[in-house]
Amino acid sequence: MLNAIDYVPGNTLLHRLNPVTKLALAAAIIIATFLANTYAMLLGLLALTFALGVYAHSASRLVSLLKLLVPLAVVMLLLQTAFVRGGSVVFAWMTTEGLTTGSKACLRLLGVALPLILMLTVTKLVDLSNACVEVLHIPYRYAFTFTTALRFVPVFSQQMNAIMEAQCARGVEYDTKNPLRKLQLMLPLCVPLLVSSVGKTDATALAAEERGFYLRTRQSSYKRYPLTGRDYVVLAACVALVVLGVLA
Amino acid sequence: MPSSADSPIIELRDVSFSYEGGPDQDEEMALSHVSLKVGRGEFVGVIGPSGAGKSTLASVMSGAIPHHYRGALYGATIVDGNDTCEVTLTDISRVVGSVLQDIDTQMVASVVEDEMLFGLENFGVPHDQIEARLEQTLRTVGIEDLRDREIATLSGGQKQKVAIAAILALQPRVLLLDEPTAALDPASSTLVFDTLRKVNRESGITVVVIEQKVALLSRYCDRLLVMSHGSLALDGTPRQVFAHAEELRKIGVDSPRVARVYNSLARRGLVRRGDPCLTVDEAERLIAGLVGPHPAQVAEVPEARAGSRHVPPQRPHSQGAQPVVELSKVCFGYPNGGATVDDLDMCVYPGEVVGIVGQNGAGKTTLTKLLNGLLRPSSGTVRIAGIDTADVPTSKIAAHCSTLFQNPDNQLCKDTVLDEIAFGLELQGVDADEARRRARVVIDRFGLPADEAPFSLSRGQRQMVALASVVVMEPDVVLLDEPTSGLDYRECMTVMETVTQMAERGCAVIMVCHDMEVVSDFAERIVVMADGRILGRGETTQMFSDADLMRRAYVEAPQVIELSQALARDVSPEFAGISQVSGIVDLTEGMVTRA
Repeated sequence: MLNAIDYVPGNTLLHRLNPVTKLALAAAIIIATFLANTYAMLLGLLALTFALGVYAHSASRLVSLLKLLVPLAVVMLLLQTAFVRGGSVVFAWMTTEGLTTGSKACLRLLGVALPLILMLTVTKLVDLSNACVEVLHIPYRYAFTFTTALRFVPVFSQQMNAIMEAQCARGVEYDTKNPLRKLQLMLPLCVPLLVSSVGKTDATALAAEERGFYLRTRQSSYKRYPLTGRDYVVLAACVALVVLGVLA
Repeated sequence: MPSSADSPIIELRDVSFSYEGGPDQDEEMALSHVSLKVGRGEFVGVIGPSGAGKSTLASVMSGAIPHHYRGALYGATIVDGNDTCEVTLTDISRVVGSVLQDIDTQMVASVVEDEMLFGLENFGVPHDQIEARLEQTLRTVGIEDLRDREIATLSGGQKQKVAIAAILALQPRVLLLDEPTAALDPASSTLVFDTLRKVNRESGITVVVIEQKVALLSRYCDRLLVMSHGSLALDGTPRQVFAHAEELRKIGVDSPRVARVYNSLARRGLVRRGDPCLTVDEAERLIAGLVGPHPAQVAEVPEARAGSRHVPPQRPHSQGAQPVVELSKVCFGYPNGGATVDDLDMCVYPGEVVGIVGQNGAGKTTLTKLLNGLLRPSSGTVRIAGIDTADVPTSKIAAHCSTLFQNPDNQLCKDTVLDEIAFGLELQGVDADEARRRARVVIDRFGLPADEAPFSLSRGQRQMVALASVVVMEPDVVLLDEPTSGLDYRECMTVMETVTQMAERGCAVIMVCHDMEVVSDFAERIVVMADGRILGRGETTQMFSDADLMRRAYVEAPQVIELSQALARDVSPEFAGISQVSGIVDLTEGMVTRA
């Protein structure tokens, strides 16, 4: 099973950028999304994210993520239209103002989630943590904790899958069509999942210590992550994006 | 310098340990009064039933005790001249490199090269030497081609080699591995041990390996340690250790089948005691020497094959009975590519024990999932007890087909053992009181603690709880997915004897298993799979004797069958088709007395 945040190998300019630059680019798109207040800008930023995704051959990941996010966005839209009343009524309880705020909130939701995922698909976690340590001077233990947490996401989802299969084969109705019933059945499974994850994290800590985790310094990394000319160009573009977000 | 050439690399002096929150002082300790020395360059195997203290012993050697696990430690552990209590875990791990049991938790990176770099960077290997070290280690382990691969895309055997390489790159003087082949098929297990032998012989690295597979240990180790109840029961060369057949059986440790042949011959006074054979070749030479050149006589073969306690009695089936499991022209492919199965045809009758064998990735797990309804065939039909699995939800199939999963922890979810075992019945609509009554009967039979929380039990007992919840269902079909993995010999026999009893009562048993000895002992028929297809199916001994089929499926036939084939070829055709130790011994005795 491939996961949305798995690295997609490639050799595009986006792959070759310094991981910190990529992080800054994602952050700039997100900040601009929050600041922007026009449809043109919001859609433009989404289009930019997708264009970068297509360029880095990870557009399919973004699309599969979109399938998860769109239902969430629709729920948000409905809630927003229920709470924000103003302007003229368009349909049932929905008003023009409600629709405008709601749809912008939806676009922001998508605009915030997608750049982060895009950044993760073009960066190896090891590179990300090493670069953060080297360039941003983040203590290694925090970078390690963060990347390990991300690495455990697919491990735990596999585990959850195995547990669900085992329970299903015993006759628990996970194949029920009713989502509420399914959720209710899933809750007791948190126990086995928790038990195994505590064991796993403990083993990870032991293994890391036995491989010299505590000796690691900022100079340890074999690979170097210097900021090059193209990084500065992209960073300048990031600033421009944010400024554009304020203006638009 | 503390390290002189002849001093032991690891020495335990009267070491005892009990885990914090574990049993009290007066109860059994995890490790009690263990003294031993591991010499430089040795290849040491550690074996013992579960709960015997093997992993605890490994933790003491690696320094995880006392630095990571809390508890009461007595005695002294000296690693390369230093007491492990006086130096840090990081310093100990410069000498002793450990590979954990669950290698997924050990991996820190997504790409092989980065995984190898992690330790090298941490221990401050000068950057101009790193490239050479990487290349050399990859070459030693034989995975140069994997350097840029994503770890998630590797097979189990390849992953294990990467884990070993990542530790080996640090150039430790001892390599310590906890059950490195538990999840691997026989072919990959052999490759991992080949790698260990190479490292041991060429680089002089001391290897200490915990392992359940006796045939591997006897072939590769210089020395075997047998653990029992927290102490060291036996210590010697594999030959010395396997000469103590009786003691090993009491402890709960299996012996290689050829050693059993030897020990049985010794008990009948045909050979002198104390020097068992460890390989099929040795056993063949021994028996050939005993019976001498023998003219072909085809007389007492049927008698010679009878009489083993492991051979299941013939059950009345297949004559006129309706198959309880029926697969016809079943195909399945996962939506995102990966493994597929093609054109599977098979029938299983009530009361049969059928083994499914093949390499990792041959499609065995997919087949079991098609049977219990977790997957539906993309074409063809699967019928269980007359139900087409395409028509009913998985949770309904569970009433007819119970699965014993490899990892019991995935199916335990209740607060007490009693609730856990009654749960399956309740799900099928059995009244709660009735379910508990039936659960109690099974609990008594297995001798399980009814009111304890399943998660507080040992791994072996958790597997027994899982087994009990299968038994209580009284299903038409039982599916076993690697029933022996992670279990010691005695637990494994309990599982197999229980399902054999179920089969005698008319339940069909289908097992996926890497342990060919277990398959050969308990299955009447086997299905041989490779690359998602069924290569052959038929009577167990006959299939295992088909050398060409075994080679195509990358399956190693059980030792006894290899031995009887070799003997039939070189000594006397009477040996052909014998699949049990007692068969070989009886026939040999018969031929010796006849001569």
